[in-house]
Formats: sequence, structure tokens, C-alpha cells
Amino acid sequence: MAYTPPIAARIDHMEMVDIVKQFPGVRANDHVCLDVHAGEVHAILGENGAGKSTLMRQLYGMYQPDEGEIRINGEPIAFRKPLDAIRAGIGMIHQHFMLVPTMTVAQNVALGQPSTRGVRLDLDVVSERIVRLSEEYGLAVEPDAAIWQLSVGEQQRVEILKALDLGASLIILDEPTAVLTPQEVSDLFATLKRMVAEGHSLLFISHKLHEVLEVSDRVTVLRDGVTVGTRPTNDTSRDELVKMMVGRDLKRHEHRAVGCGDDGLTISALHVDGDRGEEIVRGVDLTVRCGEILGIAGVSGNGQRELAEALAGMRPITAGTVVIHGNDLTHVGLNERVKAGLSFIPEERMRDGAIGEFTVQENVFLRDHESPEFRRGPFLRFGDMARHASRLVEEYAVKTPTLDTPLKNLSGGNIQKLILARELSRRPTVLIAAQPTRGVDIGATEYIHKTLLEQRDDGTAILLISEDLDEILSLADRVAVIYNGRIVGTVDRAVAEPHSIGLLMAGIYE
Amino acid sequence: MKTRQFACVVVMLLVAAMTVSASGQAEPMADDEGAFRIAVVMPSATTDTAFSQSMYSALVTVQEEMGGESAIELVYSETMFVVPDAAAAVRDYATQGYDLIVAHGSQYGSFIQDMAPEFPETAFAWGTDVNTFGLDNVYAYTAAAEQGGYVNGVMAGIMSAGGQIGVTGPVEVGDARTYISGFVQGVESVNPAAQVSQTWTGSFSDVALMTAAAQTHIANGADVLTGSSQSVVGSIGAAQEAGDVLWFGTQADQTSLAPELVVASQVYDWTDMLTEMIENAKSGVYGGEAYVLTLQNGGLKIGYNDGFDIPAEAIDAAEAAIAGIIDGSIVVEP
Amino acid sequence: MNEILSATVITGMLNTMFTLATPLLFAALGETFAQKSGVVNLGVDGIMLMSAFAAFYVVLQTTNLWLGLLAAVAVGFGMGLIMSFVSVTMKAEQGVSGIGLQMFGLGMSSLLFKVMVGTVKTVSGFPRLEIPLLSRIPFFGPVFFNSNILVYIAFALVPICWWILERTTIGLMIKAVGQNPAAADSRGINVDLVRYGSVCFGAILAGVAGASISISIVNLFQDNLTAGQGFIAVALVYFGGWTPIGVMFGALLFSVANSFQLWMQVLGVNVPASIANMLPYVLTIVALTVTVYRGRAPAALNRPFLRGEN
Repeated sequence: MAYTPPIAARIDHMEMVDIVKQFPGVRANDHVCLDVHAGEVHAILGENGAGKSTLMRQLYGMYQPDEGEIRINGEPIAFRKPLDAIRAGIGMIHQHFMLVPTMTVAQNVALGQPSTRGVRLDLDVVSERIVRLSEEYGLAVEPDAAIWQLSVGEQQRVEILKALDLGASLIILDEPTAVLTPQEVSDLFATLKRMVAEGHSLLFISHKLHEVLEVSDRVTVLRDGVTVGTRPTNDTSRDELVKMMVGRDLKRHEHRAVGCGDDGLTISALHVDGDRGEEIVRGVDLTVRCGEILGIAGVSGNGQRELAEALAGMRPITAGTVVIHGNDLTHVGLNERVKAGLSFIPEERMRDGAIGEFTVQENVFLRDHESPEFRRGPFLRFGDMARHASRLVEEYAVKTPTLDTPLKNLSGGNIQKLILARELSRRPTVLIAAQPTRGVDIGATEYIHKTLLEQRDDGTAILLISEDLDEILSLADRVAVIYNGRIVGTVDRAVAEPHSIGLLMAGIYE
Repeated sequence: MKTRQFACVVVMLLVAAMTVSASGQAEPMADDEGAFRIAVVMPSATTDTAFSQSMYSALVTVQEEMGGESAIELVYSETMFVVPDAAAAVRDYATQGYDLIVAHGSQYGSFIQDMAPEFPETAFAWGTDVNTFGLDNVYAYTAAAEQGGYVNGVMAGIMSAGGQIGVTGPVEVGDARTYISGFVQGVESVNPAAQVSQTWTGSFSDVALMTAAAQTHIANGADVLTGSSQSVVGSIGAAQEAGDVLWFGTQADQTSLAPELVVASQVYDWTDMLTEMIENAKSGVYGGEAYVLTLQNGGLKIGYNDGFDIPAEAIDAAEAAIAGIIDGSIVVEP
Repeated sequence: MNEILSATVITGMLNTMFTLATPLLFAALGETFAQKSGVVNLGVDGIMLMSAFAAFYVVLQTTNLWLGLLAAVAVGFGMGLIMSFVSVTMKAEQGVSGIGLQMFGLGMSSLLFKVMVGTVKTVSGFPRLEIPLLSRIPFFGPVFFNSNILVYIAFALVPICWWILERTTIGLMIKAVGQNPAAADSRGINVDLVRYGSVCFGAILAGVAGASISISIVNLFQDNLTAGQGFIAVALVYFGGWTPIGVMFGALLFSVANSFQLWMQVLGVNVPASIANMLPYVLTIVALTVTVYRGRAPAALNRPFLRGEN
């Protein structure tokens, strides 16, 4: 059932050759090739949906390739389950941490490993090993701390310790920097360098160019499941990698002069509690003018989600006011806000924005089924509803087989486009967009960005909340940075520098 | 895909459960032309040595007496403790044209009242109760359980050495309540100093709690126990384990459960009533009458345990009580 | 009312408490394992009924009590396999499959009883086992050391179950699978196997719980013998905050309330029986609402695991 001790296999060279993986309706990997040597960081670069995670899950035994083979030190090997990969010396740091939050660090490290005392747990022995590894690789963590008490950066260290303690010599890091502050990123990179110096092989998955350029020895770019190419990092450039990733040059959006419109959304001294009753948003003041996009940048978990939910009327406001076009809407529900001209694109789109089991058409009318346009007395006018839904689907280029397809069968990008279509079809004057392109493919992302800019040009006041700084910088007219529930700085995009914004995001200000 | 697979499995399980409960019941014994067809629906098993068994064995006796399976067709649904299930079963039997349908449970009254007018050619009997709802195709029947309770109580009062007597009841309704009421009066009439303690478990079927209740009485010094419902098998078991504790039964003859400690049982005998209902139906009368089993009309009998050495004093007192009840000189409050 | 505080009454009450608590404790300890691994098994009552019948029937035929217990264990294991197959392998809705199992157990045990036994029969069950010397201790002896062997086993299981869950690699795996199956999977643990093991272990204990009714408390079998005790056991797992010790206190509280209300009735305390009957339930609910400490449910409770979907 569990793991048996490592076979002391050092991986000098791992190759994935002509890997093909087919899922219903999509070829996630199409003859992908990749190799990594001991003491090397090989970065895998690609947009969301390019097939990076699928490729890595096959290397870790979570999926089996349909075609192609994996070779370790020249020998072909098949991984039927993660245990096989673990035994071969492969470790994986997942983007969503694979930790048991209620358990301690030592318990998480001990999980699935044989104890030195047979069936009895040997947490003291495991703790000693953790302390030793921590010192060796600069991964400070307290073995007896419970996972839920740790910061995200510390949790990631636990993940790395887990892999090292299992004796992994090849470690896959799946988007390891997505949730880290810039300071934590540089700590991580220091650790990675020590691991490479010890002879580990690292596969570093990312879609952030500057990190890839900083940390890797070689880069392989994937696009739509196909290998675009592999380059030594020293011989390539940012522009070349962008072109390989996206297939063309990225268009830079133009930013608007600030201060043109009236105040659309005014937030004053807003306080909001989190799920556990602790204060999460601690006094936010913001004004979004008509015809501008105000971007809120920040590292995940600094109050963005709670702020967005409070503005949408889904979470009670404990103090402060929310005013839309001069109407105080602090304590009214979502429906009242919608009538006042507000639309909301939620972060958890499948929880708060749509119902997966419902059809495309039903999802279009989740909220507007009461609108007189689609009602005759107590009855719904299905003919008009179908016409409206199909117009939206066409206008917003939502790819769906029929209007009666359950929404959950659509891709993330198409679901998001449908939600956007529905929210914008109400012609809002204030739009709150929370993480509008997270998990959305690049085509849809570009479409969503274009739509948001058009809305702005039509005079809508848009509050864009995103953890992707690149997205904020490319769309926003002004950038506000949220840290620990407060706005710690607001700058005009025209004069904003990524570096100074990064410092603010890390809580370094004044 | 998966959804469908597991749905199949669950459905399979449910179907299995339903077939199981259904197959245990309807056992048509004859379908000859001209046979009188009787169906009975009961809350517990035909073998509960109590309420349901008293009716089922009476029906079997009537069947034998009136010419066996060719003359009387008898089917039954047992363990119908869920009332809507019982209602569905009764409706099925009525639709299939059964001549007499016995709904053997006081909880079944309301649906009989609703259903009977739809089937005017069918005789419905239900109990224990006395209400025919003014319908001419509904019989009601009950047992004056307090009468046998009184007789049992007289014997218990005489035979209890320590004067501590325990009553283990299920739910304080119907013949369970009236039996115990009569029992207490009987004890008082011969042994006013005796202490009668009562417990109610709140369930007709919780045998484990009934056992614990009996053990509690015994720990409190009780040397005679009685009680009613199918869960009294737990009380009898507790008495057996303790030893030196006597038992008085009701509803059916419980001697077979513990020959060494059962003194006597009040036995319900529904045969005369059933015979009359059948004869009535054959001559076109389908109901409108309420029957009460009493010692007078022979519907209630006291079954002594022949294998038990009952003191003559107790037998004499019991016979005197029976005579007194029959001639009206003793009045027992229900 | 003073009588209720006399030594005889308290001794009797506590002794009855241990007897009544035994089936609940077996079943609830077993259910704790199933739930710790993320599976809610609502079929406990059905397993108890089937095993109660199996134990009773084997003892009726052979008079060998240990053989009867073994039959209960085997039937419990078999029912556990069915539950695991439906809820773990087929990933069915656990509530529905548990209720299916319960209905199956209720109907099937009645049918088998009818076909194979037919009428009320009694067996001689596990006798009271007075522990030499200890049972002579005034007051404590009759309360603690004068019960049948299954009662001792049930209470001995409490520290054993705690030890397995808190101090062994197996316990760590069970808890990890119940909290975050994806994390366990990524450590090479076979999530489905751990769940099968936990559910089947729980079902075996439910089987023993059934046997403890049919061949130790009442020594007979009847339709619906358990009268819903399996559901009480499931509730006790929540009450006990998913810990063996909490579950034990829950079972004791429920049972002492029951034996207390029986004594109240026997001693003629002037309370309507229907009110007294409610006491265990009311007390349990009150205790549940006023307790400050409340255990956390396993995060993956009731959620089937499918690799790559989380």
C-alpha cells in the first residue's frame, strides 16, 4: 500500500520521447519531447492549456501516455501510478499544494513512508531528518507546526522537503511562483540553486518569462500541446520566447489619460470580515471613475476575494460605505446593486457565477428570468429567451455545440466568455471583474481583455482585481496595490514601474 | 458514465431490498373458483408470539375449520409498520377483489375510512378499535384486554413473594394500555400492599431496550413480570437469565418461549368473530358492527401453563375472577 | 426521588449503561474509521441486522458463541465490501448507497429469519463474566467487572482505536485520505485501498455490534432487532468529534440517559413515559450544542476521489 525505501537511483538523464496524450475532444500533448540532465534546471514555458501540467502528470504517473515513452538513464520505464514515479526518484511540487492542512509538518512528511519502527509512527526521527534537510537547503520550517498555521511560502518549503525526504533526484515544480511574493520567489530560487548544485534535476514550469530567464539552463516552449522548440537560456531572448509561446507578437494596449469621467464607484473606509470572522479588509478607500479601469494588484489572500464579494453584495460589510453613482448601496443585496447598474464577474466562476449542470441558455437567464422582456405574466417567453441566448453566444464567440449543452462541458475560457456576455448584456455602468482570465486560454483571454477595454471606452467604470501583474499592467489606467487588507499605494499606469509595484505587493512601502 | 453505473448499483440494491420484503408476504394458498378470499395486513411478523400471531393463527384455524384451502384463500402482508405501505397493500387486495380484508393495527384506521366506500362489495375489518365510521362495509374489533389483565393480576398478586411486580410496556396506547390497567386492578384486589412499577420503552420493536427495562425491574427486586407487544421477548429473556422470576403473557400463548417461568397467558381468540364475518359476507352483509373480545363471549381465554406448578390458591382466585367478570359482579376499568 | 440515589440503583443503572452502550460503541468506533477515511456509511444498521441474524443463527445451530461471533464478523466484512465497492469503486453517492445497504439488511435479515428460523427462539448468549477479585470491590466491582466479554472488548477497543489512529502509519494514512485524498495519492498511497480497508474494518465492528445484541444482550433475533441503533451510532460519531474517546463518551451518555429514564419509571417518579423516553435524545442534542470543543469533520467526507479532479 505504501512506499518502500528509495532504490538510491540517481537520475542522470531523463527523457520523454514523442509523448501523446488524448483527452475527449482535445489532444493535450502531441508528440512532445523533453529531456533533463542531473544538475540542470529545464524550464517548460507555455500559456494555460498548452499541455504543461498534463505532460508533468504523466511523468509523475498520474496519467499514462497514449503514445511515446519515458526513459531514465536510457532505460524505458512505465509509471502506472505516482508510487512508481516516486520509486524511480521523481518528486513533484504541485501548484495546488498536496498537504493535509490539519496535520503537522512532520506528519505530512511521514505520510506514506515506512516508519523505522514498523507500524508505529516515528515522528521524532522524521523531525530530525526535516531539521537536517532544512539546514542543508535553506528551507526553514518548524516540524511540529500545523500546516494551516503556515504561510504559503512555508507550505511550499514543506512540499520541497517532502520530495527531498523521499530521496527524489528529479523534482518537478509546477508553477511554483504563482502564489509567492517577490521576496519568497528569490528565497525559492536560492534553494533551487543549492539543489542543482547537489546534483538534482529540476523541471520548472512557468508562464512567467523573467523567472524562466533568471533560473533556468534550458527552456522548452509548448503551445497547444506541441513542442515549439527548446533553447539554451543564454541563447534566447524575451521576445523570441514570447513569439514561441503566443505564436505572434503581443499587442500592447493603449492606456487612457486619467481623470476624464465622473465618479462611478466610490468605496470609503470599507471593512469586511473573512470566513472565520477575522477582519480581512481593513479600511479600503477607492474611487473608480466612469471610463477608466482601476486595477487592484496584490498577492493572493490579501483581501481581494472578500473585497470583491462585499462589493457584489455577497458578503456583509462591517463598516464603511459603497456608493454607486451617488446612491449609497452599502447594505443592499445583489439584486438592488444590479438595478443600480453594477455587474460582477466572480472569481469562483463555477460557484458564484454559473451552474455547471444547467444548460448554456439557462445560465444566460440565471438572473434575468424576471426581466419583463422575457416574461408574459407568470410565464417565460422561451422563444425570445432562445433568440437572446443565441445572439449572445454568437456575439461573444462562445464555442458551444448547442444552447442546451450543460455548461460544465464547455472549456474555462468559453464559460468565462458566457458569464461576461451575460453580465455585459445588462449594460452595466459599473463592472467588477475578479480574476477574469484565471484558468482561461490565451485566445479567450485576449478576447476578454479587448471586451473590457471596449466597455471602458463606452464609459463603464471598471474595477479589475487580478493577481496577474502583467494583466493589470496591460489593462489598467491606474493601479492600486492591496496588502494585508489595505490599499498601500495607487499609481497612474503611465508612470507605474513593475519593480515598485512588486515592492508594494510584498508589503514594502514608506 | 460513472453516474449511470452507480445509479444502476443503487437501484439494484433497492430492488433487492424491496423484493425481499415483498416476497416474504403474499403467499396465495388457493385461487380456486368460489373460494372465499381473505387478506390480512399486519404490523409485525406472523410469528411474533403476540399481536400479529394471534390474528394469523386464528385465520389459519378458521381456514381449516371451514374446509381448507379450497374453501378459503388466505394471503397476508406482515411487518407493515410503515402505514403508507400498509395502505398500498390494502388497496391492492381490494382491487384484486378479496372478500374480506383485515387491517390488523389501530394505526390503519384512517385509510380504511377513506378507502372502504370505494369498494362497497368488500368487507373491511380493522382493529383494535370500536369505530366503524358509520360505514356498512367496515367492521371494527378490539379485545377487552383489561379483563385478562385483571385475571393475570390476581394470580400475580398471590404468587409474588416479595410484593414487587414489574410491567414492561411498549407505547402507552390501545390494548397494551388497557391490559396493564386491568393487571394493576387485579393485583390490588388481592394484594393491596404489592408495588407495581411500570416502564414504557416508547417502541413496539426495541427488544434491547425492553430487555434493559426488565433487568431494571429485576434489579429493583421484582419477582413477577408482565408486559405486552412483540418486544416482550426481551423481557422474557431477561427473566430467564435472572431465574426465579415469573412471567404473565398476553395476546398469544407465550408458554413456549419459557416453559419454566410463564404462569399463564391471556389468549386472544378471533376465530368466532372471523367465522361470523365470513358467514355475514356470504349473505351480503359486509360490516357495520364492532366486535369486542371478552371473557363472556369466549374471545378471551386464560391459558394456564400445564407444565407449571401453579398453586391451587392462585388457580381458584383466577377462576373466581373469571366468573365474577362474566357475571358482572367484577367490573374492570379499561 | 431519594431512592434514585441509592447504591443499588446507581450500581444497576451504571451496569445497564455499559450493556446498552456496547453495541453503540462497537458500531460507532467502526463508523469513526470509515468516516476518518472520508466515507459516510449510513448502512451500519443494516450491517448490524444481518450480522445479528448470522450470529444468532450460527449459535442456534452450533451453540458455539465464538463461531457465532465469527459469522457476524464475516457477514460484516462482506457487507463492508459491498459498501466500499459501491461508494469507493463506483463512486456512488454515499448517503444513498448507505441507505440502500440499510434497507437491504433490514429486508434480508427478516426474510432469512422467516425462512431459516420462523418463530421466536432463544439461545444462551455470552454469560456474565465476573472478573475474579476485581468484581468483589464494593460498588466498582458490580459496575465495571460484572459484564459479558463483549462489553470488555468494546471498551478495550477505545484505546486501541485511538492508538491506531494517532500513533501508527496506518492511522496517518487513513486520516490523510479523509482530509486530502489528492495529497495522499501524491505520496503513493492507494486511496481506494485505504478506504476499502477503513469501511470494511468499520463494517466488521458493526457486525460485532449486531452480534452483541443478538447473542449477548437479548439472545434472540426478531425483525428489525436493532430498532435504529445503527443510526444512533452514526450520530455518535459526529457527537464524538471523530475521536474514539469522544465516541465512547457519547455512547455512555446516551446509554446512561436511557438506563436513568428506565429507573425513573420503575421507581415511579412522576414523569410521563413519553417524556422520559425522549431523555437520551434530548440530552444528546443538548450536550452537542453546549459542548465548546467540537471536532472537525474530515474535509473529504462524502467525496469520492478521482485523480486529477480536485
